[in-house]
Amino acid sequence: MVTQDDILNTLRTIDDPEMPISIVDLGLVEKIELQPSSPACMDVRVKILPTFVGCTALPMIENEIRRCVSALPGVTSVEVQSTYSPPWSVDRITPSGRESLRRYGVTVPEAGEENVGQPPSCPFCGSATVRQESAFGPTRCRMIWYCESCRHPFEHLKRLATTGLIDLSLQRLPETR
Amino acid sequence: MDKLPNELKQPLVELLLSVADDKFILGHRNADWTGLAPILEEDIAFSSLSQDEISHAIAIYQIAAGLVGSTADKLAYARKPDEYLCAELVELSDEFNWAIAVCRNFFCDHHDYLRLGRLAHSSYVPLAQLAGRLVAEEQIHVQHVDMLLKRLGHGDTESRERMQSALDRLAPLATGLLEPTQGIELLEAKGVYPRIEPAMFERWTEDLRHVAEASELKLQLQAPRAEAIGGRRGRHSDAFASLLDELTEVYRLEPEAAW
Repeated sequence: MVTQDDILNTLRTIDDPEMPISIVDLGLVEKIELQPSSPACMDVRVKILPTFVGCTALPMIENEIRRCVSALPGVTSVEVQSTYSPPWSVDRITPSGRESLRRYGVTVPEAGEENVGQPPSCPFCGSATVRQESAFGPTRCRMIWYCESCRHPFEHLKRLATTGLIDLSLQRLPETR
Repeated sequence: MDKLPNELKQPLVELLLSVADDKFILGHRNADWTGLAPILEEDIAFSSLSQDEISHAIAIYQIAAGLVGSTADKLAYARKPDEYLCAELVELSDEFNWAIAVCRNFFCDHHDYLRLGRLAHSSYVPLAQLAGRLVAEEQIHVQHVDMLLKRLGHGDTESRERMQSALDRLAPLATGLLEPTQGIELLEAKGVYPRIEPAMFERWTEDLRHVAEASELKLQLQAPRAEAIGGRRGRHSDAFASLLDELTEVYRLEPEAAW
């Protein structure tokens, strides 16, 4: 009988199409649900969180999930659902995911609200003497930084705010009935 | 609410189309700078901003499409010009005048940020969840355009004059962003589009003025006249028809093609 762990292990083999990191380490996988479809088989539903809205890699990831999971013995059907709740954030990236991105030359903001706005250290030489070149980069989720010490440009993932955006001192919210 | 009461459907579709059409058209206008922006960083930035806006538009069209039984592609590409509800400001060609491009984004991004912020608190759950993500992305646009305004305002006499004249030229058009779509009061009353305090125009002008002053630029904005009818009712500039013609050209060749 196929288990959640079997599915999760399969998902670990699927990399993000643009970076050497599995979708599990990237924190995209929110939930795996199994429903028996017959005594020995399961219908599988995988809930994933898009990084940026309308990210073009998402349909490719969804297809890969369907392809890989449906190849498992005992899987009748695979449904992939994407949801914005909870919102994906860089904080969901695992330590091993961070390390493999660093080796690739991409840094990830440190987890936790207290680290918001902290500059990264250079992924190549570890120097803290770095500056932001651009708030934008080669894909929508990355920015361009530059290391003054080893003179390498590198990429840093954008951290999107998850709270406190519009001071909803939009004070008097109307009653919703 | 997860399911929308029937009487709110049409007003919400109009509101969603106005938001998505603004983003869709602005995204196309900004994409004109790919390969042509004055510095490399801005070339990358404007390309990325365009991708953001068009991606946001698709996501919002998808919600609207679900309500009217259509598809995002059909809403984006297969409507008649007078069925688009974007504001005139986003339609305008910037004629590769960098100051116009920056100032247009200044007005639009601040407006969009407030609009999405309101929608993020919508009582209609699927919309609130999406808008909560969009407003976080839009925040990056606002920070970026504010930085550009300050740099160019504090640049030299020429850059300041160019920015000032772009602001002066666009300001009368910019208030068209605030033209209400039909039935918006109903959406506000039901919390689908929660009201904001202070009201939208005051809040928006306050945000804009704050940045303009820090950039040594002056900003004069007149509150929109209630009887002014424009983009939100499908009335568009001459530039719009040719823009739409251009950007739907490939779609019209084979509307049913699967990409």
